Formats: sequence, structure tokens, C-alpha cells
Amino acid sequence: MSGDLPGATDAAFRRLSPAERTAACLVGLAHLPGLGPATLRRCHLEHGAEESWFDIASGHHRRVVPVVEQLARMKPAVTDKMLKEASTRDVVADLRRQQQPGWGLHVLGTRAYPERLARDPDAPAVLFTCGDLGLLSRPTVGIVGTRNATLAGRQLAESMAAELARAGVAVVSGLALGIDGASHRGAIGIAADAGPVAAVGVVASGLDVVYPRRHLDLHRRVASSGLMVSETPAGVRPDAWRFPARNRLIAGLSDAVVVVESRIAGGSMHTVDEALIRGVPVMAVPGPPGAPASQGTNQLLFDGANLARNAADVLLAIGVDPHLGAAPPHGSAPPEAPEPTPAELSVLDVLEATPSSLAEVVAATGRTVEEVAHALSTLEIAGRIGRSGAWYEVSAAGRSGR
Amino acid sequence: MLASIPSAIVIGVDGIPVTVEVHVGNGIPGLTIVGLPDASCREARDRVRAAVMAAGITWPNRKITINLAPSDTRKVGSGLDLAMAVGVLVACGELKADNVAGLAFVGELGLDGTVRPVPGVVPRVDAVAEDHVVVPWRSSADAALVSGRTVHGVRTLREVFDALAQESRLWPLHPVPEPDVVEQVVADLADVRGQDALCDALELSAAGGHHLLMIGPPGAGKTMLASRLPGLLPDLDARTAMETSRVHSAAGLTLGGLVTRPPFRAPHHSTTMVALVGGGSESMRPGEVSLASGGVLFLDELGEFPPAVLDALRQPLEEGVIRVSRARFSAVLPARVLMVAAMNPCPCGEAGRPGACRCPDGLLARYRRRLSGPLLDRFDLRVHVDRPAVAALLGGEPGTPTAQRAERVLLARERARERGVEVNSQLGGAQLEEAAPLHIDAENLLKGALTSGRLSARGLSRIRRVALTLADLGGHRGPLLAPQIAAAMALRVDVTGTNGIAA
Ligand SMILES: [Zn+2]
Repeated sequence: MSGDLPGATDAAFRRLSPAERTAACLVGLAHLPGLGPATLRRCHLEHGAEESWFDIASGHHRRVVPVVEQLARMKPAVTDKMLKEASTRDVVADLRRQQQPGWGLHVLGTRAYPERLARDPDAPAVLFTCGDLGLLSRPTVGIVGTRNATLAGRQLAESMAAELARAGVAVVSGLALGIDGASHRGAIGIAADAGPVAAVGVVASGLDVVYPRRHLDLHRRVASSGLMVSETPAGVRPDAWRFPARNRLIAGLSDAVVVVESRIAGGSMHTVDEALIRGVPVMAVPGPPGAPASQGTNQLLFDGANLARNAADVLLAIGVDPHLGAAPPHGSAPPEAPEPTPAELSVLDVLEATPSSLAEVVAATGRTVEEVAHALSTLEIAGRIGRSGAWYEVSAAGRSGR
Repeated sequence: MLASIPSAIVIGVDGIPVTVEVHVGNGIPGLTIVGLPDASCREARDRVRAAVMAAGITWPNRKITINLAPSDTRKVGSGLDLAMAVGVLVACGELKADNVAGLAFVGELGLDGTVRPVPGVVPRVDAVAEDHVVVPWRSSADAALVSGRTVHGVRTLREVFDALAQESRLWPLHPVPEPDVVEQVVADLADVRGQDALCDALELSAAGGHHLLMIGPPGAGKTMLASRLPGLLPDLDARTAMETSRVHSAAGLTLGGLVTRPPFRAPHHSTTMVALVGGGSESMRPGEVSLASGGVLFLDELGEFPPAVLDALRQPLEEGVIRVSRARFSAVLPARVLMVAAMNPCPCGEAGRPGACRCPDGLLARYRRRLSGPLLDRFDLRVHVDRPAVAALLGGEPGTPTAQRAERVLLARERARERGVEVNSQLGGAQLEEAAPLHIDAENLLKGALTSGRLSARGLSRIRRVALTLADLGGHRGPLLAPQIAAAMALRVDVTGTNGIAA
């Protein structure tokens, strides 16, 4: 079987335990360009991981039925690339790279494989984790949404995640910019004194590749005190095709998926589709009509998704007592904000519809630049609106404070 | 025989008097030019000879030496041709020296004997000491801008010869030449609908001399707005009008009269560095920035200009002049421009609007990185321009007419003059303290912005100057109020900010 194997690798490979051999071959296969999760799973389950690897690495890929079927849809150039890559890979080194302190490697069909995913129709053949797997035995909620979220959307995602975490729910998200990042931040903020934080990050890259770079810190914190999950081997950058694949894992790991903000054709809609396939309840946060960031979520609600106004709605939907997570009562009520002036009210009206620039607010209210700018600055100081670059937008406080 | 004819060259925007000394003597026949001529000046040898023969005058078959004095200045260009020809004719006795006395000559000669215009007729005529100046006919109106000179416009060397052949000097009478450039008609702001805030920003820019950056997608009307800015600026004062005319003349434009309206120049981003800041040839010809001096320099698609070019703009914007120096020369060119620039925020046009922009974060960052912080800092006004709402385009009320805004601009500039500056953007720190005290609410607003890090100490004085101009435009006297400070801050968008994408 392994007669075609290069000598050095051969010797090292033979010293591995049978389980390690399977793992090593799966890691090697997962590295191959053009060989996606579905093909990988079939290779593992139908042809055997070791057989698949050695057949492909020795150029006898035609023996591997799932691969041959996959190749039929592939461009010859990609096929060549895959075979070339396979002939030069050292799977023992690949496996060693995966064996880092705190990291886990779980092969589909073994006992250590997370139960939630084992039942998944699209389960990864091999899953890489870092952190506390125990989080997956808690109730889980996926919180997803657009990368380019509004301030109010981010604030809502963060507070919702925090309240869910407080109620003992593990919050699953993708560590992307925008809603994802806000959800993780909210969950991390509720760290119990002992035990893990209730944040599960599902990423499209290898566990040691941080993407996006701006989330380096967040990535580290989720990995060190929450749980990171990926089906991509260490060292591999997130190719475009890996993001939709990642989205199915978020859906597969969640008891319910909440979409906070999304455009009609946003990536979050793909997660929604994956959730629907799996019978995972989909919930959506309502937004102002006409706001681009809420077009997708409003459409979902129209189509019959469950309404997610707050964490309590979500907890009810997954059967957790909302009172468990009730925020500790404030020592004193926040000071009453002064009544907004007519100018401030008209500015808020414009911003509630969609984030706007100064010129847009001036045009929409018919007020002078000075009046509008003054109202904007007063509202900003009061925390009712936020500003980033040229854009003013209502905060969650501004939205609920009316 | 010796002849001595006055003329002038132009370096940068300044004329330098040159005396063309011609000696005709015995020796091997030929024409030699000495006194640091450049290549085009040395080629005068062939032009002068051909032009004299084309005029029907016999070329003296003798050894001719032309010396260009002063000898330590490089003589650039072909503007000395006419003076050389006249000098040769005097030196060889074809013309009487007395008939030529008191005259200066400027112009290039064609091989066919025509007298052709040269760049910089205004500074050249200004530089010569003689009261009477002979210039190419096409430049005669421009030359007449220099006060105290009698200008004789000529078409051919023959005309010059005929006039100087008699003591009475009968100069030909030609009609006044048509100018090359027709004054641009500046469109009115009244037909700008649904862009009130932008029109206000233009008015502020014109009133206070605040450089303006417009950020917005294609089709938002950035060029349309910028081109209306000159209409808000007052007529050039006498000094600036003359300076601007000299610059335009030195750049080779035929003016057809004094430039009295602020110029508007809009160089494309593919314009070379030399064409933009000037100083390309040895004549140090002024570039687009100098041509815009006294008026508006519009840089569309600012991010597309090469970084080196944008870098070269920083010093002129600060000092109001461009200093160019080459191996042998240096020149100081005027650069008192009001800079208006436009840029696209991102490929999708939504400019990072939260929830709407579809551009990946990295791409937005790359767009922003094209502009350096120090350059962005020069813009007191940085506003976002959106495509106006369709409703405003179709049914909206017309905007405030340019004339009405220009009146306010004039009054605001008068207030600035009372403070000892032309416009508020020139106010120094101490002057600003005195001219722009703060109401307690305004002070608290600034303190809050400084404490939260949204405003830097540098930004602080820029905000105050803009707020002061706002107050001037509104006819407000007394300490600056919070709404004025708030508006000044809101009109200075943080371009390098995260644009709504949460980290
Ligand atoms: Zn965009």
C-alpha cells in the first residue's frame, strides 16, 4: 500500500499509532487545493483516510471514487496542482504542526469528536479546536451579521451576547469584523471568575492564522479562555471558498441562529440557509425600514423568521429561563437625560432611518449647518448617536430612548 | 560699427533686462553669439539671418559678434531675436542709431521674417527701462498692461525696418488682437439643488480662505460645485491682478487684458510635477499652481495624484510661493491658491456608510492611505458629498444665488481685513486668541473633544478659524458660540477614521 512512499516520510509514518496515521492523512488531504469538506468526508468514510492519501500522493487518484467524481467537475489545472501538492507533502510534519498544547484534533467517527457535529449531515472529517470543548455541551446560540454593521447593530449584538452568556449560553460566531466581533466581545465581557468565557469562534483559517488582523486581540482571548473551532489545518490562510464552509459549521454548532444585521445578499444569509437545512431556528433583529443594514433581517422576519428583539426572546426560543440571565439591578437609576430639542428630534428621525452624513441631515431636515451640527454634537455627548468618519448613526441607547 | 539694443528675458515670472550688443567688423564672415545663450537663443543665428533676408534686406557678409549683457545671466529662449536683428541692421549701417534710440524690442523671428509672440511679454516689458517698446502684434494688448509704456505691435521684421528707416518712425496700425482665452463663465450656485451644506462649505471656503476637500462618489457633483467657487471670490485687487497677469503671460498665455477675476485651474492627475509646480526649463516657466495663484486650484481625484506631487504641494500651500531651484537658477513663483480637492471614498461609492458600503475593510484602508496626514491636515474643511436625493433634484427649491453668497463673502473678508489679514485662515495664534474668544458652552465643547482625543491641538486652531468665518458670514460679533464650533468640527470629517467598520 505504501510502497510508493518516499523513504524518510515512510519511516516516520510507520512509527505513528494507527489513530495518528488516520489523523495525519486527513490533515494532508485537508491541505489539498480543490478538495473540499464534502469530498474529504467521503474519502474518509468510504475509501479510508490512509488509502485515499496514499493513492492520491502516488498518483493513483483514480482509485479514489469520491475524488474521481470531484475531479470530473474540476479544471485540469487544479487537478495537476492537487496531485503535485500531494506528492510533495510530508503528512507527519503536518500532523506535528497540529499537535500544539491546548489544541485538539478530532476525527469524525471517533469518541472525542464533538457530538453536536457528529450528527451533522455535513460534518467535517477532521476538526481542529483550541480551548474548552465543554462549551459545546451548553445551550448555544449563533449570532451573525454583516461586517459593515451600524453602531446600533454592534451595540445590540454585544449586549445580547453578554446577556446570553450570563444565562449560561455559549455564543457562537465567526470572529469577523462587525456583528461577529461585537458578539464575541459581549460574551467575553461576562467571564465568570472561574471557568471559560462563553465564546465559541468558528474560523475559516488555520487556528494559528489570525484573520482579520484587526481582531488579533479578540482571536487570542477567545482561543485562550473560550473555544476556537476550524476544519482548516494550521498555517492555511482563509481562501474565499472556506467562508461559506465555515458558515455551515456555525449553523451546525448552534441551537438557534440570530441575524442582527444583514443586507439582502449578505454572507449571513448563507448561514441562515445552512441553519434552515439543519432545522436550526432562525431569528432576526428588526431594523428600520429602508436601512441597508437591515434589509436582510427585515426580509427574514417577513419570511417568517422568529423575532429577536432582545436576549429574552432568544432564550425563550431555545428553552432557557430568561430570568437566569437577568442583569443585576443597577444601584441607582441613570440620570434622566434632558428632553431633546425639536432640532435634536428631527435629527434623530433622519438617523433612525439610516446612518447619514452632515450634508444629508441638513438636506433632510431643512435646518442650517450650525443647527444640525449643534444637535449632532449634543446627541453624541449624550450617547444617543455615534460618529465614525463622515457618518452619524443612532446608538442602541438613542433608539430605545425615544 | 557697434550697436546696443535693449530687450529682456524672463525667468520664472520676472523679467530681466538684457542689452544686445552687436559688433560688425572685418574677419571671416559669420555670426557669433556670446554671453551665456542657451540652445534656443543660440539658434537665433539662423533665424535672424533668414528673417533679414526674407525682409528683402541684404545680409552683411562680415564678421558679426553679438554679446548679450549682463554676461552672468543665462539667456533663455527666442525673445531676443528681434533685438538682435535690429542690432545687426544698425551695426552694419542699414538703420540709423538715432532712429532706434529710446526703443526696446521683444519678439521671436520666423524664418519668413514674421515677428512671433514669446512667453512673458508682460514681465519683459515691465523690466525694460525704455518708454517705447516694440512687441509682436499678437502680444501688443498684453504689453500695454504695463503702465507708462508706449507699445508698438508689429507683424514682420519689414514693418520694423520701414518704420525705423525714417526719423518720423511711422508705425503700422493694426487692429487690437483677439485674446486666446475667453473669460470662463462661472455657473451660478442657484441651480445647485439639495446640496445646501456643500454650498455653505464653498461659501466658507471663499470667505475664510479655507482649503476644502470634498469626499464623495462619482456623480455627487464635486466638480460642478468646485467650478462654481470662483464666482464667490471678489475681484482681484490691483496688485494681485497685475501679478496674476504676469504669471499668465510668463506661462505663454495671451491675456487680452488685465486678469481681474480669480483664475480657476483644474490640472488632471496625470499632469507632470513640472507642469504642476513649474520650473521645467531654464526659463523656470510657472506651473498650474502659479497659474491658479489668486484663485482656485482644483485637484479632482486627489488620491490619484502621485504621492511625490502631493508632497511637493505642501510647502507652497504653507508659504504661498513656490521656490524652484535648478543647477544654475532659482526662482520664486507665486502660489497663493485656494485649494479645492475631491476624492472618491471607495469603489462602491457608499464611502463606508455603516451597513451599506460593500467594500472590504482592507480596500477602504488602502484608499485612505493614499493621502498623507500632513496633506489632509491642510484642509480646514473636509466634507462628505452625497448624490443629492432625487426629490431635491426634481422638485427642490433653487439654492441661494451666487451673488447673494458673494456679498456675504465680501463682508466677511472685510472683517478679516480689520484683523490685519486678508482672510481668517491667515490668522496667527495670538491674533486668533484676540479675534475669536469663546463662549463658555463653546469652550466646553472644545474641551470635551480634546479630552476624548477627537481633536488635536493643531486641529483646535483650525476649528476656531473656521468657526470665526462662520460667525463673520452670519454677521455675528462677540465670543464664538457652541453651534459655530460644532459646525466647524462637523465640517472637518475624520478621513482616516475607521469609517464605521468596527474593529
Ligand atoms: Zn464602499
